[in-house]
Amino acid sequence: MSATSHATTLGTNWVGQPLPRKEDGPLLTGRDRFLDDIGLLGMAHVAILRSPYAHARILRVDASAAAALPSVLAVLTGEEVVRVSRPQRGRIPLPVSPQVYALAHDKVVYVGQPVAAVAAIDRATAEDALDLIEVEYEPLPAVVTPEGAMAPDAPILFEEVGSNILWHDTFPYGDVDGAFERADRVVRERVTIHRYLSTPLETFGSIAQFDASTQTMTIWGSAHQPGQEINNVAAALGLSPGQVRMIVPPMGGGFGNKTRPIYHILIALLARKLAGRPVKWVEDRRESLLALCHAADGIMEMEAAIQDDGTILGLKFRNIENEGAGIDFAGRHNLLMLSNIVNCYRVPAVSYEGYSVVTNCCPVIANRGIGKPFMCLAVERMVDAVARETGLDRVEVRQRNFIQPDQFPYDTPSGQTYDSGDYPEMLRKALALLDYDQLLVDQEAARAAGRLVGIGIACGVEPAGSNLSYGMLISGPSQLLSGQGEAARVRMEPDGSATVYTGGIESGQGHSTALSQIVADELGLRPDQIRIVATFDSHSHPYTQTSGNYSNKFNGHDTAAAIGAAGKVREKLLARAARMLEVAAEDLELAAGRITVRGAPDRSLPIAQVAARAYWSLNDEAPDDEPGLEALHYYRNPRTRAPDAQRRLPVQMGFSAAAHVALVEIDPETFEIEVRRYGVVHDCGREINPMIVEGQVHGATVHGIAAALLEEFVYDDDGQLLTTSFMDYLKPSSADVPMIETDHLETLSPWTPLGTKGIGEGGAIVAPAAIASAVEDALKPLGITVSGLPITPTRLWRLASQGGKRYPI
Amino acid sequence: MSELTTISVTVNGEPREGRVEPRRSLADFLRQDMGLTGTHVGCEHGVCGACTVLVNGRSVRSCLLFAVQVNQQDVLTVEGLSPDGVTLHPLQQAFHEHHALQCGFCTPGMLLTSLELLRDNPAPTEAEVRLGLAGNLCMCTGYVNIVRAVLAAADGHAASASTAAGSETAESPPGALPRFPTGKEIA
Ligand code: FES
Ligand code: FES
Repeated sequence: MSATSHATTLGTNWVGQPLPRKEDGPLLTGRDRFLDDIGLLGMAHVAILRSPYAHARILRVDASAAAALPSVLAVLTGEEVVRVSRPQRGRIPLPVSPQVYALAHDKVVYVGQPVAAVAAIDRATAEDALDLIEVEYEPLPAVVTPEGAMAPDAPILFEEVGSNILWHDTFPYGDVDGAFERADRVVRERVTIHRYLSTPLETFGSIAQFDASTQTMTIWGSAHQPGQEINNVAAALGLSPGQVRMIVPPMGGGFGNKTRPIYHILIALLARKLAGRPVKWVEDRRESLLALCHAADGIMEMEAAIQDDGTILGLKFRNIENEGAGIDFAGRHNLLMLSNIVNCYRVPAVSYEGYSVVTNCCPVIANRGIGKPFMCLAVERMVDAVARETGLDRVEVRQRNFIQPDQFPYDTPSGQTYDSGDYPEMLRKALALLDYDQLLVDQEAARAAGRLVGIGIACGVEPAGSNLSYGMLISGPSQLLSGQGEAARVRMEPDGSATVYTGGIESGQGHSTALSQIVADELGLRPDQIRIVATFDSHSHPYTQTSGNYSNKFNGHDTAAAIGAAGKVREKLLARAARMLEVAAEDLELAAGRITVRGAPDRSLPIAQVAARAYWSLNDEAPDDEPGLEALHYYRNPRTRAPDAQRRLPVQMGFSAAAHVALVEIDPETFEIEVRRYGVVHDCGREINPMIVEGQVHGATVHGIAAALLEEFVYDDDGQLLTTSFMDYLKPSSADVPMIETDHLETLSPWTPLGTKGIGEGGAIVAPAAIASAVEDALKPLGITVSGLPITPTRLWRLASQGGKRYPI
Repeated sequence: MSELTTISVTVNGEPREGRVEPRRSLADFLRQDMGLTGTHVGCEHGVCGACTVLVNGRSVRSCLLFAVQVNQQDVLTVEGLSPDGVTLHPLQQAFHEHHALQCGFCTPGMLLTSLELLRDNPAPTEAEVRLGLAGNLCMCTGYVNIVRAVLAAADGHAASASTAAGSETAESPPGALPRFPTGKEIA
C-alpha cells in the first residue's frame, strides 16, 4: 500500500493540518464545566461506606443511627438494594454469571467494595454519617494471586459459580503442532505484568435526578459508553432505556477507566428514593485507587517454535488473567489479546489458552490498550529471547519476521486483517531517529567505564475499533451484542454554519477539532464554522449500543459516521442549489463557503443563501422533499462478523503500528533507572491533525514508561491495598521522563474514508516492552534478563545482590 | 457542623467575604462558595497540584489549606488570568499554540505553577522547567508540550520585555516579567 493510493473525494483542505484545538478556550480560562462543577438546587451529596475486608460475610448492617442524623436525607444498604433493583451481568455473558448488585449484601469480595451509602445536605455531613453505620463482618480467607485462586483449596469468591475460574478456553489457530515438529528448537518464556491504571486526573462521578411523575431518570455521569450505561441503569431499575436520560459532561481524562455502571445505579437508586432531589457523588482519590478499577495483572507462559535463522514458525500462549473481584469486564483482556497475538510478525500458527480468574482484588476494567500492552510485552520479550538463544541481533530477528509491506492486507491466524503498514521501514526510521549506530558506540564506551547503559527496541501494532462480536467466543452466537459502529447527526444551520452531534464522548483527545476539520472539508466550510456539541445528551445526540469513546474507535468509526451524515447534508444542499441555479447537481462544486457551477465561476451562490431557503422558504419544496438541511447517519463497520468455524474473527478492525527505541541508564549501586532518551516512529495512516496525533503519542508513551517503572498496585496477602494515594501509587512527573522524540510514516488504511487508523493507545501498548528491553540490555554485563514488570530499583538491587539472573525474582 | 467563621479574601483582585466552617478547604471555598470552578481537585492530598492557586503570589495547594488561613490574603485563581474568559494571558496562549493540554483538568494548576516559575526564573532551561513543574501531575500529555509551552512563553516574554524595556514601570527590577500579575494587579 503506497502512501498516495487512497484518493479521497473531499476537498481535503483542513484534514491534515495541525490546527490548534477549539476545545482549549474554556479549559485554559477555567470556564469549563466538568462533572464536579455542576451544582443543582437542593442537591444532595453522597458518601459511600466501603468494605475494610477483602473477603468477609456480612452478618449485620445497622444504619439507623446514620439515618437519624439531622441533615441526612437517605441511607441505602445492600439489603434494600437487592429488594429494589436487579443484579448486573458482565458485558460478556458468562456461562455462570455471579449476581452483582450496586451494594454488597451477603458478602464482600474486595477491599473498598461499597456496602452502604448516605445522601445528606453536604458531603461532609454524609461522611460524618458513615461513621454511625454499624457493620458486623465475619472475615473469610482472602486470595489475591490468580494462581492462588486456582488452587484446589482456594477460598471461593462466588459460590454460585463454584470455582474462581470464570472462564477457560483454548484457541488453536493454524498448524501449531506441525510448526513445533518442524522447529529447529523451541524457546520458552514466562512473562508477568502487574496491576496499574491510567488514573484520569478527574475522578469518576455521577449525578442523578428522578422525575417520579414521568418515571424518568436523568444522569449526568462519567461514561465512555453511554448506550451501554443507559441500558445498565434501565435494566437495574426496571425502566425502559427511553426513561433514562444520560448526559456526559466533558471528562478530565478517561482512558477506559470510567466504565463502572454500579455507581450510576447506586446514585440513581438514591435519587429515586429522594424523588425530585438531585443526588451527587464524586469519588475521592483514595476511593478511586482502591475500588474504581485496575488493569489486569497476568501470567503468560509461552513457547516459540523457531528455525536457527530466527524465523518464528509458531507460538503457544497460556495466559492467566486476574480479573479481581469483578465480572463487568471478565474475559475481555483475554479476548482482546487475540488482536495483537502475532504483533508485527509473520507467524503462521498460534495457539492461545486463556484463564479468567477472580481474586479478592479490585475489579478489572478497560485501561488504555486493555490486554494489548501485555501481549505486546510478551511477544517482544519472546523475540528478544529468540535473539538471545540464537545469538542473532535483535534488530535482525525482527526484520526477518516482519510482515512485509507487499503482504497487506495481511490475515493473521486469529482472523485479524491488518490493513496497511511498513514495519521494516518503521523500525529503520526509529533506529535512525536516535542514531542507533552512534548509540551502540557510546554504549560500548560506557560499559567499558563500568556504566549500565541499555538500548531498548520494541515494535507493536495498535489495534483500533472493535468487533464486539468477540464476546461470542465466550457466550456463543446468541449474544445480542455484535459489530461496532457510531452515530452522527449534522445540521447545516440557516446561516450556513453546521452543528454536529455524535454518540462519541470527549475526554481530551481533541475529537471536536478533528471532527470540525473533517466536516469542514465535506461541506466546503471552515472548521470555525463547524460546531461540535461535545457534551453528550441522549435526548439530543444519536447513539447506538456501541457508541462512545473506547476501543480506539474514533478514527475508524466516529469519522465515518460524521462523514456519512455530512455527506447526506451535502447532497441535500447541492440538490437545492442545483434547482436554484438550474443545473445538474453533478455540475456543482462546493468550496470556501460557495456553491459554484463547474467551469462557470460567475454562476455561484453562497452556501448560506441556499441554507436559508431550506429552512425559510417551504414553498420551494417539491412534493416529496423535506425542508431543512439535517441528516442522521448510523455507521456500522461492514467488515465485522461472528466467529467462523475455526473460531477466527476480526477482534479489532484497523492496525496502526509503532517502533520505540529507548535509552536508559541504571545506577550500578542504587539501581535507579533513568530514561535518558526515548524515540517513537508511529504510523496511524492519514493524520487528521498531526499536532493532536503527536500529543496522543507523547501521553500514551509516557504512560507506558511509567507503567513499566513506577506505577504498581500492591496488595498484601490479606487483600489490603497498600497503594491508596499518589504518595505510594507513583505517577510520573515532568522530572521523571524525557522529551519524547517522534517521527512518523503514513500508510493509509484502505478501509476508512480518509485512510485513518487509530491513535491514542499505541504508546501505552509498546512502551512497556521497550523499557523491559532497554533495562535488560543495560543489565547485560550482569547477565540479568527481564521477564516481568514493573522494574523497580529495590527489586533489582535485591536480585543483583543475591546474584540472581532473572528479573523478577 | 461547627460554627461558621467570617473571612475576607481578595480573590482575583476583588474583595470577597465568606462564612465558612473551619474545616472548609480553600479549594472548596473557591469552588463552592466563590463559584470559581476552574480550580480543580485531583487528589485532595497534596500530590497532584491540580488545585494550585497563588496566595500572595506564591503557589499553594488549595486542597491542603483551610479557607480560614487565607483570611486577609490575596488569592489568584485561573479565572484571574483571563478575567473576561476570552482574552488569553500569554502563558495561556502558549499552552494553546503548543497543544499543552488534552483533557485540561491539570491545566489551571499547571498555568499558575508556571506563572510563578517564570516570574522567579524568566529564562529557565528545560531541566529547570521540568523540575519546576514536578509538583503538578498531568495524566494526558506526557509533559512534552507543557514544557515546550512554558519555554516558549519564557522566550516570548524575554523578547517583549527587551523591546518594551522603556515602558516598564519603575519598580520592575531589571529582567523581571512585568506582565505576570498577582490577583491585585489584575484588578
Ligand atoms: S487536589 Fe490538591 S494537590 Fe491534588
Ligand atoms: S491534560 Fe489531562 S491531566 Fe493534563
